[in-house]
Amino acid sequence: MSAVDLSKEQDLVEYRVDRILEEANTDTRIVVLARKDGVLDTFPIWVGAAEGNAIKLALDTMITPRPMSHDLIKSFAEHLNITIQRVVIADVKSSTYYAIVHIANKGVERTIDARPSDAISLALRAPCPIYITQDVLNRRSTTNLDAWLAKLESKDIGAPEVQET
Amino acid sequence: MITQMHVKGLMFDPYNNAYIVVLRDEEQSDMLPIWVGKSEAGAISISLENVTPPRPMTHDFMKSFLDAYNAKVISVVITDLAEHTYFSKIHLMYEDSEYTVDARPSDAIALALRSNAPVFANNSVITKQSSEELEQWLENLKPEDFGKLDS
Repeated sequence: MSAVDLSKEQDLVEYRVDRILEEANTDTRIVVLARKDGVLDTFPIWVGAAEGNAIKLALDTMITPRPMSHDLIKSFAEHLNITIQRVVIADVKSSTYYAIVHIANKGVERTIDARPSDAISLALRAPCPIYITQDVLNRRSTTNLDAWLAKLESKDIGAPEVQET
Repeated sequence: MITQMHVKGLMFDPYNNAYIVVLRDEEQSDMLPIWVGKSEAGAISISLENVTPPRPMTHDFMKSFLDAYNAKVISVVITDLAEHTYFSKIHLMYEDSEYTVDARPSDAIALALRSNAPVFANNSVITKQSSEELEQWLENLKPEDFGKLDS
């Protein structure tokens, strides 16, 4: 693909939440995103336990007796007629991913800075697509992947299907 | 009738492995303890301590979401207590209309603190609570249990 003639939309690759991995002895979860179009590529994001659980509830379409925090955000959107259009993992700095939530109301679009965990949690509930920019995909560090693999292997979860783009 | 409450602090409840958000009225005569989970307590304590996290936490994001279209949190009301669960409503003002949204008290309080919105409690809830396990709890409370969060 030539970078020159890529439109803005083509710079985005759509992902879905594949699964949530638990790290037994830490307060950490790994959200594993996989490419929506079936191309073999997983994208791991480390999140806190509470954040991971919020995503897991939505992934399992669990209905909680009381609205969880992201259900509340969705409820705000419904009350105020705000459409949650898409979330984009748009940047990475010092191994921290940055997400942008795109919302619209009466034709007026706004973007909100968010942690990927909040963005993904909301995307699953909206529901709306989850994208990663090609730039972030190009810049993801192999040290991250290595760390991930090392952790997985140490816990003997089995060979994950990981390949670099 | 509703009474304005102030968030006095957070306590750890070792018996239930949970946290208690302590609300008190102006005269300090009524107290309303609300049990919340660890991450919910974290969202409230970060706000009480005026800590600015490097990245927006969930309720910061929630506030940005409302700010994006100038929706304002007018107030939060703890409306009911049923089977040990508190219920609350968030009152929003958006384009000259008021909206009432159902929420858990932990979310409502975390958002109210970030929006400088007042927190109220229905008097019926305060009364109900005082007749429940509160008394025995108060007997066991020591000032140091409040830790540095107590102001």
